Amino acid sequence: MADLAISTEKLVKTYGRNRGLAGLDLAVDTGEVYGFLGPNGAGKSTTIRLLLDLIRPTSGRVTVLGADPRRGGVALRRRIGYLAGDFVVDGRQTGQELLGYLANLRGGVPRRRIAELADRLDLDLSRKIKGLSKGNRQKIGVVQAFMHSPELLILDEPTSGLDPFLQQQFVAMVRAARAAGQTVFMSSHVMSEVQQTADRVGIIRDGRLLTVERVEELRERAVRRVEIHFAEPVPLAEFSALPGVSDATVDGSTLRCRLDGRADALVKAAARHTVVGLLSEEPDLEELFFSYYSTGEADRVSA
Amino acid sequence: MFLRNPFTKALFDARRSLLGWALAVTAVGSMYAAFWPSVQSPEMQQALAAYPKGVLEAFNYDDLTSAAGYLGSSVYGLLVPLLIVVFSVGAGTRAIAGDEEAGTLDLLLAHPVGRVRLAVQRYAALLVALAVIVTLLCLAMLALRGPAQFDGVTAGELAAITLQLLLFGGFFGALAFAVGAATGRKGLTLGISAGVAVLAYLANGVIPQVDGLAWAREVSPFHWYLGGDPLVNGVQLAGPLLLIATTSALLATGTWALTRRDVAT
Ligand SMILES: Nc1ncnc2c1ncn2[C@@H]1O[C@H](COP(=O)(O)OP(=O)(O)OP(=O)(O)O)[C@@H](O)[C@H]1O
Ligand SMILES: [Mg+2]
Repeated sequence: MADLAISTEKLVKTYGRNRGLAGLDLAVDTGEVYGFLGPNGAGKSTTIRLLLDLIRPTSGRVTVLGADPRRGGVALRRRIGYLAGDFVVDGRQTGQELLGYLANLRGGVPRRRIAELADRLDLDLSRKIKGLSKGNRQKIGVVQAFMHSPELLILDEPTSGLDPFLQQQFVAMVRAARAAGQTVFMSSHVMSEVQQTADRVGIIRDGRLLTVERVEELRERAVRRVEIHFAEPVPLAEFSALPGVSDATVDGSTLRCRLDGRADALVKAAARHTVVGLLSEEPDLEELFFSYYSTGEADRVSA
Repeated sequence: MFLRNPFTKALFDARRSLLGWALAVTAVGSMYAAFWPSVQSPEMQQALAAYPKGVLEAFNYDDLTSAAGYLGSSVYGLLVPLLIVVFSVGAGTRAIAGDEEAGTLDLLLAHPVGRVRLAVQRYAALLVALAVIVTLLCLAMLALRGPAQFDGVTAGELAAITLQLLLFGGFFGALAFAVGAATGRKGLTLGISAGVAVLAYLANGVIPQVDGLAWAREVSPFHWYLGGDPLVNGVQLAGPLLLIATTSALLATGTWALTRRDVAT
């Protein structure tokens, strides 16, 4: 178990008569970035709050960094950085004051480290928090989670409210954390938010884990749109029957098609002509997951 | 410096409201005390004598003929303890339930701060704030002793009632703190605490006037605070001990409940 940063077994959480989690089995390796995907109400925040001992399981087992969250208590939480799904703090203080206080609770964080993170996210720490926009408040949440370089980062929808530039900064921060050996467990609604950084993604729906996939393998399997520009017109027939190729069309000297899986056959076929340009867009992994979000699919997978 | 831990942070965050409360309580107390020379006049004494005894008792006005009796009734008997109850219940509610309903407790408890440690430090901050308020009031009374002609009341006697007032506020603070810590609900906490305060008040001055209900006074925190006339007889034994015992029981129960339950978002 030493190589697991987070593990849960048959984890159940009920809120009165409401279901929170219905038997979740989760295994997050030490040092990996794990994307935790699911639709609204799937149980992502419930799982995360259980990991931090903010709420207690109805039944089942939770282990975080080798300890039970409740028994591990203070010593365990020292090693974790947490960003809540709805990060709220008292607005009558400045970012500097809040982060200083939280750093003190952790036994101190170098001022330089806080300043560097704030700089990176373009965050003004001298302003009162209530005067900040939603995105700027979220940045404070990101800084407090990362500032003490914890072994384990638990982030609930970390990029909600951040603009695309800041999302890129965030991606860079997650990559740096991974390179430093930190484990990152983050939730999201959409694949596109985690596919840039995650090693693996787990899909949760109705309080249960439906599937866990390696992002790399998903990429290989994913359908992508490919466009090849040739020096002169090519016959459609040469390409339309190739393995993995579908929806092929030829428009003059341009071939457009969808490619499912390996590119080998298509590339070799194209190589018989003079290739001027080749365009292949980043595969849209989202499509794979929409299927899991609908009820019918869920039944098929869990059966 | 003030951002070291939940205790200092709580005091730092409350600095402005604490200043306001301390000034308000002191001003109210000083105003009442300054009336003593005019209350002493024969006309006033006659007028008061005309009131039915029950009405005066209901307002804690037992003895308005001596300086100690007047201070015990007017300054320390009615408005000041009520203000102290309001302050303590407010601060006790905010300590856990208010923080939780605002959604800000979550972040703190995700940090290396144990729930017991948080509870202890938050209540300690409440007690320190309360001590600041009652001490300022006590200093004002000491300063007014000469000008308002109640030199007969010694510094020791003022200190005695100040201590008992602190314990009295501490009780209501602990009550709100405990209900809030156990339930996490602000409205419920305020409601229960206010209800207990009203009952305690009635049990001290009104209910005992009914035949056969004289014992009600013995279970009233108001009586534990004022019973035995600390302004005449100095610090009492039974009342303060009962306040300390019930306060400790409330704190222990509330904190225990907090360690066992889910924290709301
Ligand atoms: N305090 C609570 N009381 C009652 N039910 C709750 C409570 N918290 C969560 N639930 C229920 O548990 C289920 C899971 O909620 P959770 O917040 O974990 O979902 P989520 O995956 O984080 O959703 P979102 O993407 O909307 O944040 C939901 O059906 C929700 O209604
Ligand atoms: Mg959520």
